[in-house]
Amino acid sequence: MAHYHDQPTIGEMLERHGVSRRTFIKYCTAMASALALPPLAGRAMAEQLRAALRPSVIYLSFQECTGCLESLIRSFSPSIENLIFDVISLDYDDTLMAAAGAQAEMARDKAMKDNYGKYVLVIDGSVPTGANGAYCALGGKSAVDILREAAKGAAAIVCVGTCSSFGGVPFADPNPTQAWPVSDIVSDKPIVNVSGCPPIPEVITGTLLQFISTGKVPDLDEYRRPKVFFGNTIHDRCYRRPFYDQGKFAKSFDDEGARNGWCLFELGCKGPTTYNACATTKWNGGTSFPIESGHPCLGCSEPNFWDKGSFYSALSAPRWGKAGEVSPGDVLKVVGGAAAVGAALGVASAGLSRLRQRHIEKSTTNNEAKES
Amino acid sequence: MSRLGEIPIRIVSRTPAASTGTIGAGVTAILIEIATQLDRLADGGEPGAIDLRSLPMSPGDREQLLKALGPGEVTITLKGDGESTINETGIQGVWWSEYRDRGGELIAGFIEIAQVPAILPVEPDQLRRGAQQLRAGAAGAAQQPGN
Repeated sequence: MAHYHDQPTIGEMLERHGVSRRTFIKYCTAMASALALPPLAGRAMAEQLRAALRPSVIYLSFQECTGCLESLIRSFSPSIENLIFDVISLDYDDTLMAAAGAQAEMARDKAMKDNYGKYVLVIDGSVPTGANGAYCALGGKSAVDILREAAKGAAAIVCVGTCSSFGGVPFADPNPTQAWPVSDIVSDKPIVNVSGCPPIPEVITGTLLQFISTGKVPDLDEYRRPKVFFGNTIHDRCYRRPFYDQGKFAKSFDDEGARNGWCLFELGCKGPTTYNACATTKWNGGTSFPIESGHPCLGCSEPNFWDKGSFYSALSAPRWGKAGEVSPGDVLKVVGGAAAVGAALGVASAGLSRLRQRHIEKSTTNNEAKES
Repeated sequence: MSRLGEIPIRIVSRTPAASTGTIGAGVTAILIEIATQLDRLADGGEPGAIDLRSLPMSPGDREQLLKALGPGEVTITLKGDGESTINETGIQGVWWSEYRDRGGELIAGFIEIAQVPAILPVEPDQLRRGAQQLRAGAAGAAQQPGN
């Protein structure tokens, strides 16, 4: 087998670490299950990965809160140790790596040079462009310059979190640092958005594994998110969905409906328009997810989630746009109406909300493009 | 409300399938799927599997399914990176596999329909490496003083 820079294959690395083929098949079977692939696909994935080279991964953190990395290091299946030691060569991550300062920057430059055209670039955080990029700088270089330089030699870019995917909180109105998502700065590379604030750890590791095992960018939705994880809305897979269909809604956080575990739609749940795997993959090793803990979905994996009005306003608000566009009166009218009209209108309104959301986003983007 | 025990909990479903002893429609569908896959294995040698995580089963349904398949005579324990078990059910060729991580958490569970579970057979390159390892060991022992 041809070796690139005399690197061992993943299979050879595993043997050196004493990880048996059976253990690796077990690990890939669990991953295939999490990816909703057929059960026997785990073995094929294991064989593909064993024959592959460990790809160099460069993880850059820009304007962010480190919540995405905190999430990633809590991945249960595969665990982050499995991923780092067995499958990838994490050549740069300024938070996780022992090296710091000039030594760390040198490691990054060397990894980029040695693996030019082949490394996976993971970006966490939005990219501020205001004040010539001075709002976020590492080693004397602005984030926007580092991104442009690192993107040149990347095989693909994986944006981890809503900030790098869609701008996230830094992008929120009035966007004081002129922060942009990666896709607005880099246009000539395959980009995969793993959105969420933060994303589910297994969705991050699963996306990386799927890319490495197949060598291809997975099927993506219109927002460049992997369909395997973002193909359904939270509402589609929510265990409280039967209550929505029956028109049973909690109306406050401490009423009988809330205690009975009824639908949280009227408390502002954004599940009907939010595409993510929270209701199936769940969090903390499959323990729970926000709705199971009694709180409405905030819609954190969708573009501009921070600017869509109150988290506690029902989705069927007549105008669901940026903050301030929905008046309290409008919200009250809608909240009163949702329970009365019931499931059929709810489904229709969810669809309309999504259309309206796209329309608002399109017109907002157009206006911003004209202004700049 | 100052204690955990004071948080009111209302049980919505008592998993009626388990309590009444009748097999639910979901479990029946799984049994029919297993039978179809057994036919396929017998006729063409094609193994199959059903991912237990992808099935919306209640604990009662699971209990019913295990009961319907019954206990078998083979139990396999895999000890790599956590202890996993593969149990043949009372229906030969139908294996109930549960893969666990080092912490004992279930990371994958499925019913495999196969002569032998796919994770067990050893590849030819591994057999050759084993032979090399034994020969190297034997050659090293032969060079020891006194042999």
